[in-house]
Amino acid sequence: MIRTIEVLFVIIIISGALIATSYFAVLPSAREVSPINLRRLSFTTLQTLDSDFDLSRAAFETDNATAWGRLQVALSASLPPNVVYNLTVYDVSDQQGQVYNYVDSISNAASQIATSEVSAYAVASSNVTFNFTPEKIGEKTGGTTLYILNCSDANGWWITGYTAQSLAQDLYNLLSPYFIETVVVQNTAQLRQLIDNQTISGSPSERVQNAVVINTFGESVPMPQEYYQGQIRQNLGYDPSAPSGYNYVKYCWTLGNTVRMYNWTWTSIVGYPFYYVSNNVVFSSSQNNWGIYGMKMTSQGGSRAFLQGLDNQTYTYDTNGLASDVGGVTLTTKTIEFTNYYGIYPSSYQTSTRALSNSILQSYHLSIGFNVFNPVGNNNPGAIYNHKASGSSNITGSLLALGLTRTPDVRVTGLSLLSYYQPRLYASQYTATGTSRLVILQLGLVGSG
Amino acid sequence: MASGAIDHMVSLIIFIAAITIFIGLFSQNMQTSIAYERHNVLSTKTSDLLDNMLLNPGIPITWGQSDDAIVGFGLQDPDYSQYKLSSFTLMRLASTQAAVYYPRTATYYSNNSARLGSCLLVPSAESLNYSIISKLLGINGTYGFQLTLTPTITFNFQKTSTCSPLTVQVNVDGTGYPLANAHVSYSLIIISQGANNYPSYTVVKGVSATDGAGLVELVFPQITSESQSYALIIYSKLDGLKGIGYYVNNPPDLTKTVIPLIDSFQNRTILLTHSDSIGQPSQPPGYSELSYNASFVILTEDYTLRQVQLNQQSAVGNLSYGSGSELDYTSITVPNNDGIFIISYKSNSGQFGVVLMPWGLGSLAFPLKFGGNPAGQDWVTTDIRQVTVGSIAYQAQLGLWNLQGYSRTG
Repeated sequence: MIRTIEVLFVIIIISGALIATSYFAVLPSAREVSPINLRRLSFTTLQTLDSDFDLSRAAFETDNATAWGRLQVALSASLPPNVVYNLTVYDVSDQQGQVYNYVDSISNAASQIATSEVSAYAVASSNVTFNFTPEKIGEKTGGTTLYILNCSDANGWWITGYTAQSLAQDLYNLLSPYFIETVVVQNTAQLRQLIDNQTISGSPSERVQNAVVINTFGESVPMPQEYYQGQIRQNLGYDPSAPSGYNYVKYCWTLGNTVRMYNWTWTSIVGYPFYYVSNNVVFSSSQNNWGIYGMKMTSQGGSRAFLQGLDNQTYTYDTNGLASDVGGVTLTTKTIEFTNYYGIYPSSYQTSTRALSNSILQSYHLSIGFNVFNPVGNNNPGAIYNHKASGSSNITGSLLALGLTRTPDVRVTGLSLLSYYQPRLYASQYTATGTSRLVILQLGLVGSG
Repeated sequence: MASGAIDHMVSLIIFIAAITIFIGLFSQNMQTSIAYERHNVLSTKTSDLLDNMLLNPGIPITWGQSDDAIVGFGLQDPDYSQYKLSSFTLMRLASTQAAVYYPRTATYYSNNSARLGSCLLVPSAESLNYSIISKLLGINGTYGFQLTLTPTITFNFQKTSTCSPLTVQVNVDGTGYPLANAHVSYSLIIISQGANNYPSYTVVKGVSATDGAGLVELVFPQITSESQSYALIIYSKLDGLKGIGYYVNNPPDLTKTVIPLIDSFQNRTILLTHSDSIGQPSQPPGYSELSYNASFVILTEDYTLRQVQLNQQSAVGNLSYGSGSELDYTSITVPNNDGIFIISYKSNSGQFGVVLMPWGLGSLAFPLKFGGNPAGQDWVTTDIRQVTVGSIAYQAQLGLWNLQGYSRTG
């Protein structure tokens, strides 16, 4: 009998354990077991509403019944019918002793939402301007001047759809903040002054030495009249022994020499560098076989001659090709990183039909200072080549050659130069008040509980 | 002695019975808890998997517009961040509708067509099916899923007067509420029914706004007959929510049409085919000719349509069926932008028609349903995100279920 009683005691104890376990082990409601991720839905809703900055505008116009009403309709329209919301706007400031101060809210939830999730989304007033101060390229070494060729007496090629003048303006807007002095070269006479190591702007900070020169004329390069046959510098521009029609190859050699002497960074924005020389006056009756007057073809010999000059080699007429059509090309990872840093976003995918061969590296004592595009086989679709004389570690002239097909995207040029020089950006400290608001969207399911 | 033995036996029987009952009771609680836990894991998996699909562009990132083999699945537009999806990758997901066979190329086409007057037929060889995507996501044999993309804004067209003038009442609705007081811009494409062999069209543009109930009434005196062919494309916007809808009107007795089939995403080529030549078996030969005029338009930033010149000889031409020797299809290359491919055509019996094809899923706000069938599954969890395709607002919903099986209890 006593054993039966003991067993009954055991049953009572286990029953107690079962009851206690059932009491404490409360299972969640079915809705809580596999819920919709309301937090993500809330966040993506806010993102959608702000896709054209409408939410940002409305958050600062809580007194504007129309704007606020539109936001309410859009919010109701974008959420599933079984989802209720409460959207609250807070002003972000520390003026009243607390960081977040309630501004206004809208809701379609008649009663308390028992189970809900929230997302926060910070918006800024459209009145806010975020400034940055760029480091000036070469400011620690006396400053680098940016020269943009905008010669009114020359014509461009492979800049179809643009004029050199419009490209010059775009480049000025894009790059001038990064240089101590930016000078637009208005005609070939001013270009000749530069070649002669003379400043042209009158500004005390202009420096011909170590300058960056951007040729906005595409495959064509402006040529001062003095280098024309019969003029005082014809021996530096005209090669009587070259095949007829290609005699001005030698001017490219002179440019190469100049780039080396002054340690310039010469920038070719598109296509084959130095494929034509241009001067509307002296070549007024010559055209490039495509109906553009004022230019003479130098063909592939132009690039060869430039590189000879850059490498301080004796000028010889050489027409061996040095570029290839490599088709689709992509920005290097490093360049893509700089797109974010400088906020310049050209397409990562470009087409290169004039990618320079690696063979020029050895032939002309060049090394690659920065690869803008990933090399394709033995060719570089876009790169900055540094010249270092044999046995020297000093850079004496550079060439940025973007062998892309027409038409040029000057953002690629700007990004290439900035990626090479890497000037830092100093963001302005942002201390304005009343210009940031926090939007909180709380979502709940109807009937949840 | 005997009473002790009886006591022993009785107590043992009671003890075993009690233990059996308690084990049953405890195990029921435990099974319910385990099932809940599994459902909760499935829910978390759904959310993760949906974000995994929507927040990466896949590998290679341009797989939506290239013939390169896909090795990683993702739907994000590679040129953007967050929940902005590529219009082209979505077009490459095989439809759950029955495939269409085209004998001339001996190819099956996944049928993503949405409604009358529009087509979206993608070669099955260029479409990714459920099985492939499951493998790429690493859930093959483990989980089943169905991905649904639904435009947030829907348009319902109601003709209150069919002609002289045509009056269309458009109901613009969001998912949970009518799109009240929203901006509306529209383009009515009217097919010119003149003597021209290759029918061109004129576009009537305008802007308006919905009323408090999301309704807008559009009146077109240019439509003088119900048998006129036209397409109405309407765009609406309210605080970041953007939607596009369309309505195509062709003569009710029109039997021959031009059907565009996507040929290659990489080369951006589209085959224009004669409707009689589609299907297996194709229609019995009976000579029929369609003269077409193909064009391409993109949606501009001010929400109007801008035509892009195709500059190809094949942009106008004839499609003959049943003649034996003449081609019943032709190929056209379209630009690489999202846009709407418009084909106006005229049959040899003098009937005119128009068909639209989106180049990029968002261009005409086509919906998409991709994956397995959740019907009959034991427990299906769903999750939802707001996304944009092109600039059009969509809702992406993922349904997920476990394929490894466990019994539902509790």
